Amino acid sequence: MIELTEVHKSYGSLKAVAGVSFSIKAGEIVGLLGPNGAGKTTILKILTGFHYPDSGSARVDGLEISEAPLLIKRTLGYLPESAPLYDDFTVREYLHFVARARRIAPGDRQRRCAAAIEACGLSSVVQRPIATLSKGYRQRTGLAQAMLHDPDILILDEPTSGLDPNQILEIRRLIRSLGESKTVVLSTHIMQEVEALCDRVLILNKGRIAATGTAAQIAAELSGGARYAISVIAAPGSDESVFADVEHLAGVRDVRISRLERAVRISAELSLLPGVPAGAEAGTREGIDYDAGAALFDWAVAHGLRISELQPLRRSLEELFVELTR
Amino acid sequence: MKPVVIIARRELHSFFNSAVAYIAVTLFLGLTAVWFFAIYGFAARDFASLRGYFGLMPFLFIVLLPAITMRSWAEENKSGTAELLLTMPFSELQLVLGKFLGALVLVLIMLAFTLAVPLTVLPLARFEIGEIVGQYVGTVLLACAGLSLGQFVSSLSRNQISAFLISSLLLLLISVLHVVNAVSALPRVLALTVNHLSLLTHYESFARGLIDSRGVVHYALLTVAFLYLSARVLVIKKWS
Repeated sequence: MIELTEVHKSYGSLKAVAGVSFSIKAGEIVGLLGPNGAGKTTILKILTGFHYPDSGSARVDGLEISEAPLLIKRTLGYLPESAPLYDDFTVREYLHFVARARRIAPGDRQRRCAAAIEACGLSSVVQRPIATLSKGYRQRTGLAQAMLHDPDILILDEPTSGLDPNQILEIRRLIRSLGESKTVVLSTHIMQEVEALCDRVLILNKGRIAATGTAAQIAAELSGGARYAISVIAAPGSDESVFADVEHLAGVRDVRISRLERAVRISAELSLLPGVPAGAEAGTREGIDYDAGAALFDWAVAHGLRISELQPLRRSLEELFVELTR
Repeated sequence: MKPVVIIARRELHSFFNSAVAYIAVTLFLGLTAVWFFAIYGFAARDFASLRGYFGLMPFLFIVLLPAITMRSWAEENKSGTAELLLTMPFSELQLVLGKFLGALVLVLIMLAFTLAVPLTVLPLARFEIGEIVGQYVGTVLLACAGLSLGQFVSSLSRNQISAFLISSLLLLLISVLHVVNAVSALPRVLALTVNHLSLLTHYESFARGLIDSRGVVHYALLTVAFLYLSARVLVIKKWS
């Protein structure tokens, strides 16, 4: 649906995007995460055809954006950073202007505007001039504008910036429900947002992609494996030697037995290298998808151990973000 | 055509929602009327013509037209709304034409009010209707040229005031270019060129009621050229 190949973009001497490639499938919610100045906004501007790339190709539905801008702009809804709006309109007037600009048939305008007003919680301010709105309402008006014509693709630049925690939850719920039928690309510098909303994350740093995958995949990839804390209830009389065998399990390394209680409950912390199921290379996609938790379960069953606790120890996205973008 | 009208309507909406339109219209009507009746002294002259009335317009246009167009892109560039317009399904040319049409309609509304002057004096003497028609045609064409120049300057700017000052200056220069001939002896070809490029040279024919094709072509060419350049600026900005 969206495909960027080796895209470069500079503003004067400032290199904003330096060779970014990725593709987004229909129906995905993808988050661009990165510190300020990482190139998130530039990539979104390229996707919406507001800027054209210096080199490389940016395609939507197989069409190069700079060659068919009008066609592509029709399929997009866009919320630019800091939600610019025409201050001299009221919210209702503004949405009706957008409806006309988006060529919504006159008979449908009223219904679409009402639906967007409802979905974005704008009913109480429809008659107010935009100039008098608070940051949260401006942001929501911008979002209403973006979704008004029911586009296939939504491009949202920091959709929850300036909102209070309740509003953030509401807007996230809205984006998630929009994401059920649409492709959504959003940027943010808030890690929880990505974890809460996105099927996939692209972490950007200095104009390049530093990591990509689901939040969990990125965590696994970067920490060099998945870590688990496991407690098993062993048969009376057994000791930590039951764990000797776990080291032969695919990918297990670094078994640390931290607790030994009355010789029946044995706890251990162990890390599993991603990607060593039979025949798979470490670090490949297959490897990352390898479910270490399930493998541990199978191991316990095979040895007659009862698992009382099995907890994946994930590093937070924050830690990884700091590490990646340092 | 429809997209152009959508943009033009938005422009008019913001003109009439700010004080700019009202101040500009009032000032324009007030100044031209005061000039014609009090300073120029129409009633004291034994001369049934509005030439004096229209004679002032090009000079007022030097500040009035830039005042109308200064916001057009400078304000959008500054507030970020340019990003909205340019990511909506409009071509750059449609946006430029829409903004031009909006500004032109404002000028036409203003000129419609000036009809009060000919209507007031018409019963007083025998006027050449053809002359008045020529005067209005020339004024509208001059406005087109000035508005498109103003929009072009605004498209390059993020600051209304600098857009206003620069377009005023440019409009002043091309309005009175022929004055060069009064103060220096240029080679004949150059002198004729300078004379031809000056907006006022042509406006004088219109003010006498002559719809001179050279004037029409000159004003129309300027209009088309600056509209085209504005659209080019929008496209080039996407690449830079």
